Amino acid sequence: MKKTLTALAAAVIAVGLIASPAVAEGERYVLISHAPDSDSWWNTIKNAIKLAGEQMDVTVEYRNPPTGDLADMARIVEQASATNPDGIIVSIADFDVLSGPIGSAVDKGIPVITINSGTQEQSLALGALMHVGQPEYDAGHGAGLKAKAAGASSFLCVNHYITNPASVERCQGFADALGVDLGSQMIDSGQDPSEIQNKVQAFLSANPDTGAVLTLGPTSAHPTLRALEEMGLSGEMFFGTFDLSSEIADGIKAGVIAFAIDQQPFLQGYLPVVILTNLTRYGVVPGNSINSGPGFVTKSNLALVEKYAGVYR
Amino acid sequence: MSTPIVDMRDVETIVDMRNIEKHFGPVIALAGVSFDVRAGECHCLLGDNGAGKSTFIKTMAGVHKPTSGEILFEGKTMSFDSPRDAMEAGVATVYQDLAMIPLMSVTRNFWMGREPEKKFGPFKVMDFKKANSVTMEEMKKMGINLREPDQAVGTLSGGERQTVAIARAVYFGAKVLILDEPTSALGVRQTSNVLATIDRVRKTGIGVVFITHNVRHAMAVGDRFTVLDRGKTLGTAKRGEITAEELQEMMAGGQELAKLEGSLGGTV
Amino acid sequence: MTDERVKQVSKLRRAMIRPELGAICGTILVFALFLMIAGDSGMFAPEGIRNWTIVSAQFAIIAVGACLLMIAGEFDLSVGSMIGFAGIVIAILSVQWGWPVWLAIMVAFAVCIALGALNGFLVVKTGLPSFIVTLAFLYILRGMTIWLSILTTRKTIIGGVKDVAEGDWLAPVFGGTILKGLFQWFADIGLIDTFIRGTREGQPVVSGIPMLIIWALVLIIFGHWLLTKTKFGNWIFATGGDSQAARYVGVPVNRVKILMFMFTAFCACVFATAQVMEFGSAAADRGLLKEFEAIICVVIGGALLTGGYGSVIGAALGALVFGVVQQGLFFSGAESSLFRVFLGTILIMAVILNTYIRRMITGER
Repeated sequence: MKKTLTALAAAVIAVGLIASPAVAEGERYVLISHAPDSDSWWNTIKNAIKLAGEQMDVTVEYRNPPTGDLADMARIVEQASATNPDGIIVSIADFDVLSGPIGSAVDKGIPVITINSGTQEQSLALGALMHVGQPEYDAGHGAGLKAKAAGASSFLCVNHYITNPASVERCQGFADALGVDLGSQMIDSGQDPSEIQNKVQAFLSANPDTGAVLTLGPTSAHPTLRALEEMGLSGEMFFGTFDLSSEIADGIKAGVIAFAIDQQPFLQGYLPVVILTNLTRYGVVPGNSINSGPGFVTKSNLALVEKYAGVYR
Repeated sequence: MSTPIVDMRDVETIVDMRNIEKHFGPVIALAGVSFDVRAGECHCLLGDNGAGKSTFIKTMAGVHKPTSGEILFEGKTMSFDSPRDAMEAGVATVYQDLAMIPLMSVTRNFWMGREPEKKFGPFKVMDFKKANSVTMEEMKKMGINLREPDQAVGTLSGGERQTVAIARAVYFGAKVLILDEPTSALGVRQTSNVLATIDRVRKTGIGVVFITHNVRHAMAVGDRFTVLDRGKTLGTAKRGEITAEELQEMMAGGQELAKLEGSLGGTV
Repeated sequence: MTDERVKQVSKLRRAMIRPELGAICGTILVFALFLMIAGDSGMFAPEGIRNWTIVSAQFAIIAVGACLLMIAGEFDLSVGSMIGFAGIVIAILSVQWGWPVWLAIMVAFAVCIALGALNGFLVVKTGLPSFIVTLAFLYILRGMTIWLSILTTRKTIIGGVKDVAEGDWLAPVFGGTILKGLFQWFADIGLIDTFIRGTREGQPVVSGIPMLIIWALVLIIFGHWLLTKTKFGNWIFATGGDSQAARYVGVPVNRVKILMFMFTAFCACVFATAQVMEFGSAAADRGLLKEFEAIICVVIGGALLTGGYGSVIGAALGALVFGVVQQGLFFSGAESSLFRVFLGTILIMAVILNTYIRRMITGER
């Protein structure tokens, strides 16, 4: 038994040693997102920070709460702060929850850039240097205007991450642009693809004169594409989505999806790393926030997007 | 065999069950059983499997209520509504599956449900000093020297566990001790230890009801023997008035056992 | 007539062979490991220490409840959902309806304890496995949490609790920090770093000991004392060890089980309240999967899944191991997905070790 115990202890230590990576000589930055492990959208940002890290010769770590629990995310921000990195890049998934940890990091003297979720006002209130992202309400509103121009007066908003308030902002903007009250048209679809498909089909069967559908990302867009195909409704209604993927690109080419709103996450990962590195090395930093999106990707500007869909776009 | 004659007036009868019948729906489990236990005696209840022994002692222990018949406890008519009532009156049962919890220590098992307490400021805590010393003492009286009272019951042998259960019942004031097949799962040495314990217990004035289907064990300690067959008492005999073979025949109903005896050459 | 085949066991060995031994070994091993690979990463500086002690304290709070319940022979899978539900109740009552925060907290506790009693009552009356009954409540409560929050606020996060909690007397009991003076002194003499800008300039980065940790310690001590020193604790062991045998000697098995379900619910509510007070908001997805994590802590601590055997100190150490591992992997720079691999490995090792120790103690074959 003693032998077994010693062997097990040795194995644990070995795993630990293998698991800790070599620390780069250069600066170290930490990017903390709110996304659960299952959200594939952040792959673009992960690739972007890797590219930026190589180009700038710095280490960038990516951290996230495995289940998407924002309380866990707050802890991770605290931890990151405790290790005294050269800079922190973080999404403001919820101002109340994160204001404490982000504020503490700022007060300790760690430069912070906020990205993705959150508004420029919130970013300023926290003491961050700037916000790199896409204003959610405005993006939804822009999409809604396009839908209205195409003649839609009713809609379905497929929300696959309803616990994040920013998601509701998108649907709210869309509804307001159409001039409709946001009510049961926003459905909590969950994250499981078959569930999402079933819920979309159920809604469309119950509301056959729905004029437009808005999905908030590839997680909700792909099952919706399948749902429309099964119901024979592909191309029949105005379909707009947030974000890009190769399936969405195919949908645009086929004329099923009218546009994809690209908040250009590549910039949300790449730019903060470059900016923070230059700040650490030379003390320079741009004076205002950067809107990474919205970019509307349609059939006409699809080619480059297609080339890098899921990787950098 | 005749039904019991009340002729030993110098020994008090503790429990007297008269003409007990128990029906479970259309099934008649007991069809008129009479049985009594006196202080200081070991009254063996014998019968083959399915004879009704279990049902009968459960009735005595308050688990079942008799469909008809009388139960007298120390001369007064009693009706037990639950096993708790019977226990409080002084009828303690040690079941085959023992009611000992192997994961817990002997002390904790011994005092379960009746833990001694002492004050600790405004709180009450278990008085382990008293519990442990009493447990060690009672076990020693029964012939078991525990290594320490914290010892888990699981470290004791089957016979020792039986003894703990019996010691517990005795300590907490049992007047009648019902032992349900205590030796059926034990080896030779442990059986003799348990039988010795029964003898010891009987000598303190407690009435013991010893249920078994093993005639030799019964003959070793019994003062009286009652045989149960298909829900009816076949008869009661006193020690010395009957032989083991006769008892065995009564239990088995006679014929089949005789044939079996023949082919096994009297080894049963 | 002690059986001569039973060895005389040395006093030292006897002192060592206890239910918590596995968890003690695990704790020492884990600390040694992280001291080696993350010693200079800030993990053992004041900020880092606060980070993993808070996480461990959170796990410990619900692990104590889960431990006592598991020893009594039952599971509560609805703990995580109850955490989310209690949080939303506090937020809706105080932020949406304007009730004073102390009242909202008390109502949340009352509701949780009532739900715990309901769980217990159903398990005891129907005889169904608690696994099933509480699994049902896992879904029911989670669904109600999401529905209630959308119904009243159209969102699934309800913020603004920090504002309404200003001046409240009960809020700091859960979300406050104590020994602030001591830590300011630490900062002044240079033991702890201070903030260099903003409204908190000059204050220590770790301002004090969060009340969450105090709650954890109080619950651990209470749970351990209740289990090992009192009559009721003996009843808990008996209920889980063999409920039929316990009933037979008069232990009120049903009452014990229902009370343990209520205690687990109480612990869940402490967790939720502390979390809401700390973050100033409640969210519908809080507490997700926490019940399984609590059970893992309890099992690492040496408890038997089928009941009747276990240790609160062990569960607390299990929570410590869990917290140190979860946070330590970050500090050591390892991939965060490795956490689950690590946890599973530790779990198996802990169970093997604990089984061996238990067999030595209880004489199981």
